[in-house]
Amino acid sequence: MAVSKCTRLNGPLIKQMFDSVDSVLFDCDGVIWRGDQTIPGAPDVINLLKKNGKNVFFVTNNSTKTRKMYADKLALMGFNATEDEVFGTAYCSAMYLKHVSKLQGKVYLIGSNAMRQELEKVGIQQTGVGPDPISGVQIDWANVPLDPEVKAVVVGFDEHFSYMKLNRALQYLNNPDCLLVGTNTDTRLPLEGGKAVPGTGCILKAVETAAQRQAQTVGKPNHFMYDCVASQFGLDRARCLMVGDRLDTDILLGSNCGLKTLLTLTGVSTVADAEAHQESGCPKRLGMVPDYYVESIAELLPALQG
Amino acid sequence: MAGARAFKECRKIGGSQIRNLLNAKDFFLFDCDGVIWHGEKAITGAPKVVSSLIKHGKNVFFVTNNCTRPRENYVNKFYRLGFTDVMQEQIFSSSYCSALYLRDVAKVQGKVFVIGGEGVRNELLEAGIPFVGDEDAPDGTIFNCALASDVKAVLVGHDDKFTFLKLAKASCYLRDPNCLFLATDVDPWHPLQDGRILPGSGCLTAALEVATGRKAMVIGKPSPFMFECISSQFRVDPAQCLMVGDRLETDMLFGANCGLDTMLTLTGISQMKTAQEYRDSDHSTNHNFVPDYVVDTIADFLPAFED
Repeated sequence: MAVSKCTRLNGPLIKQMFDSVDSVLFDCDGVIWRGDQTIPGAPDVINLLKKNGKNVFFVTNNSTKTRKMYADKLALMGFNATEDEVFGTAYCSAMYLKHVSKLQGKVYLIGSNAMRQELEKVGIQQTGVGPDPISGVQIDWANVPLDPEVKAVVVGFDEHFSYMKLNRALQYLNNPDCLLVGTNTDTRLPLEGGKAVPGTGCILKAVETAAQRQAQTVGKPNHFMYDCVASQFGLDRARCLMVGDRLDTDILLGSNCGLKTLLTLTGVSTVADAEAHQESGCPKRLGMVPDYYVESIAELLPALQG
Repeated sequence: MAGARAFKECRKIGGSQIRNLLNAKDFFLFDCDGVIWHGEKAITGAPKVVSSLIKHGKNVFFVTNNCTRPRENYVNKFYRLGFTDVMQEQIFSSSYCSALYLRDVAKVQGKVFVIGGEGVRNELLEAGIPFVGDEDAPDGTIFNCALASDVKAVLVGHDDKFTFLKLAKASCYLRDPNCLFLATDVDPWHPLQDGRILPGSGCLTAALEVATGRKAMVIGKPSPFMFECISSQFRVDPAQCLMVGDRLETDMLFGANCGLDTMLTLTGISQMKTAQEYRDSDHSTNHNFVPDYVVDTIADFLPAFED
């Protein structure tokens, strides 16, 4: 059945769409908040959805917070949410290493304390988190002591990323049996006021370039994040909606997993971007065309309140 | 057939074949790491090869992507390792050529934001190009980095003091489409004396390309710009040149891009097997990595000088 795509969602279409879903998965950055500012109306949308009996999940590529930290932030900003509804890549990477890679050993971590905590929660030790200033000369760097128990290099967002960390990762990855796992490939982290900070994708690319190999990435658009939610909550993908601001992560995840997809324009991607993918006719790009779009998720409010 | 490249045979040569080649060429361009030295150790016979070429009236140049030292420092290294006839004018490093590009081609009016060490900064200083690093604003954070005014170009080179903050600052500057984006080279890694490897400038450039969605203009091999630098200072005929290197994807491709004959020496990174695989590959782009000639070591030139 041919479905028209990239439709502006408004009026009766909104209610119709929500009647056809039981669960809504929201991206966070650029969808429900920007940095420390909520998108106006977002808490009401989430809270109303829940009141209307829908399941709500938060699926974010951001690896800087644990599920608990996210739950705290959500609560602070007025969202009714519990820890087990949050799926960030710090948590999902730990789950991936534990249950998919079945890692026996330690991790060399380029990432945040949040990642360290989530790894420790599943019993995986790490080395490397925090600042790593350089000293000595080239021969010292090439001969950095390596922990023989390290079986994987894991890369997430790390504001302490440095040449020394890149070097250590490379030395571990010289062993072809050492895994390389990345949380996500997002190029930027959007902040309030149009500011953007380089994303994890940049760090991961540096490591992949040095080691001349591709990482296994856990985050959107890889289906693992959806699998994580679905395995814990028994979802029917035909009755799921993915709401996001990035075509190449959120919408593509939705398409890859057979979910309905809704693009909101309060973040990274534009309607023009979506239409360009649609017009390209390229099969790989068609997955990035959302079913629907709204200017902001606040536009969903009237239908939810009515 | 404009633009068609001559088929590169990847032929191992010795004895009289080398002698004929040396007679036929006037300009010898040598890569350094893995070709004339390994770290702090000259490759056996290499100093004699260089001095013999010079004695025989050949023009010798050194073309290296390694931007960890300024040229005046390179001269000291050459001397220290026994290459006593080499002068600064013969040395073309990616950092030196980046400074030339900024000064003479882009004619940049304003400052350059540098991600790089002494090897890069000293060349900018020598060329009279004002630059800033990130040391100028020590209290900046990645969420609120203070930007210098008047930055018209970002230059990425090898930087062992690379930090996320520098990446963040560089991407801020590069949001202006008129701000130039230059990379000294894109080598992903480089080997040390004992065969161990270290991350190269290519990693830092790749990170910045992802951050900005922009492609860097690459100065070093395989881009032909360094050959243009040599040509602008010396009268060079590409047909009279031989490019000698150890890395197929940089040195041989560089030679192909500049229309030069190329020679792979097996004392460095690339192996004969890989060169042959490229030659026999169905993908025609791989043919650009194939050398004309192969030697085990440049010391194989030495018998040719005995007459």
